[in-house]
Amino acid sequence: MIEKEKLRDYAHKLMFDMNDSEYETLQEEFDIILKQMNLIEKIPNISDVSPMTFPFPNNDVSLREDEIGDYLTVSEVLENAKHQVNDQVRVPKVVDEDV
Amino acid sequence: MYRGKSILELRESLDNGNVTSEELFGSANKLAHYFQEDYNSFVTIIDKCKVKRSNSLISGIPYALKDNFSTTGILTTGSSNILKDYVPVYDATVYKKLKRAGGVLVGKTVLDELAMGGTGTTGHTGIVRNPWDKERQIGGSSAGSAASVALGIVPFSIGSDTGDSVRKPASFGGIVGFKPTYGLISRYGMFAFASSLDHVATLTRNVRDAAIVTDILKGQDPKDMVTLKDDGKKYVDTLDNDIKGRKLFYIKEICDLDLYKDSGDSELIEVLEKFHELLDKCREMGFVVEEVSVDKDLFNAIYPTYMCISCAEATSNNANLTGIQFGPRGEGNSIEEIMFDARTKGFSELIKRRFILGSYILQKENQEKLFLNACRVRHMIVDKITELFKEYDGMILPASGGIAPKFDEKDEKLSDRYLLLENHLAIGNFGGFPSITLPFAFVSDMPVGINITGGVKCDDIVLNMAERIEELTGYKDIYAKVGDIDV
Repeated sequence: MIEKEKLRDYAHKLMFDMNDSEYETLQEEFDIILKQMNLIEKIPNISDVSPMTFPFPNNDVSLREDEIGDYLTVSEVLENAKHQVNDQVRVPKVVDEDV
Repeated sequence: MYRGKSILELRESLDNGNVTSEELFGSANKLAHYFQEDYNSFVTIIDKCKVKRSNSLISGIPYALKDNFSTTGILTTGSSNILKDYVPVYDATVYKKLKRAGGVLVGKTVLDELAMGGTGTTGHTGIVRNPWDKERQIGGSSAGSAASVALGIVPFSIGSDTGDSVRKPASFGGIVGFKPTYGLISRYGMFAFASSLDHVATLTRNVRDAAIVTDILKGQDPKDMVTLKDDGKKYVDTLDNDIKGRKLFYIKEICDLDLYKDSGDSELIEVLEKFHELLDKCREMGFVVEEVSVDKDLFNAIYPTYMCISCAEATSNNANLTGIQFGPRGEGNSIEEIMFDARTKGFSELIKRRFILGSYILQKENQEKLFLNACRVRHMIVDKITELFKEYDGMILPASGGIAPKFDEKDEKLSDRYLLLENHLAIGNFGGFPSITLPFAFVSDMPVGINITGGVKCDDIVLNMAERIEELTGYKDIYAKVGDIDV
């Protein structure tokens, strides 16, 4: 069974946490997930196949001209931010005063 | 009076002056409120009618939009606590096009949290119930969009489909779910789940309405760089084309009756029997229908391949949900602590599990073995199906091996049925193939759907074949006639 600490590490890398019982549920779920993942490993001779990252080649894509398009105003951008100061999103100080 | 009517029926009533769009909105609004407590289709029901008339077929006609499409000034939550108070300041292209065409928004519909799920049970405002049986799931993630159409509240709704999120709930709800070719419809303003698999899709009660709505939504959008140039076709005009000689195939390893005859699952057997009866009717109509065989090991890997790719992409796409620029602000003494707290409180357990799986897949030691190999398997499956589409016009399969599950039912997650019959719809997302589900039978008084998938950019052919098959099923324009209300 996958270790709980490993799962916790994966969660922390994505910047969230769960409680102990939630990790235990996930441990059990991982048992089945890993068996399902084994189905991928069962397929032979795939190293020569290129990984597919999009469904099909799209030749309709071209770079747009570097022109100013629609944009949001500062007040629109800030509309959903809970803490603001001087037209900016307010966050805790990130620079140490002693530096 | 107007409940359960199709787009064209409502169009006729509007054009004849028998009803106004304000009255249609009023009717849909009443229905939405009436059914909300029992079925929970909506996160937000709009109470103010805003009509902008045009000469489009949907002008003045009510519709519903999944709550992962950005709508200026209207709460848009993704059915997640991390966006529970988010009010967008811009419109998704889909919403903009529907507004321009005169569609009248009735509400924003409940989804599985951030579109990651297939049950309709994980939205932050509660579970969505199946209109045909309240004790059963409608499926997801476009749960409320499906329920609102299956209840007859609106003639059409918009959903998103990353693995089967429109086509599966369509099957469970007895309605039509159409996911066009990848890039046909702009996803700008639709919350991204897995960008290489995400599609905008429609839910309607007949194939013609699906074509009408897709005709309005399709087209290239500079704001979504994967969108295709407009093919210039009007799908609604090709629906009546002759299908004589059109070739369909079904996959033996997915729906051969012999595979399941000892399963003891009478509903599954009945679904497959009725599926093969329908194939016979298709042959009588003029379709050529043949069985093909595939590498079962390869197709058994559809579900894990989907999970690897979608969860990995989702971890990246949802990294912007931090509670800093929008969403509930977390507590802490540093930016990191604030984000950590916001994400810990904002995501539900189920979605966290998917993110952790994505994180696991993307660990350095797993990237080659899991993520890249999943992308290779995707390539092999798409190549196989594309090769078949050189000979055939479409693939026809049951959308699911059974009726909508009850809320406490658990799948056997390593069974053939689960891996193949319940998850093959993801093929349509792997290859970006146009794919449509429509009702074809009732089993245990619940609807079941058939799925037809065709070659890339052959949306017109898929819709044409689907409309002819709809004639054979006799299940056009059905909805769950529950509730004592006539508006």
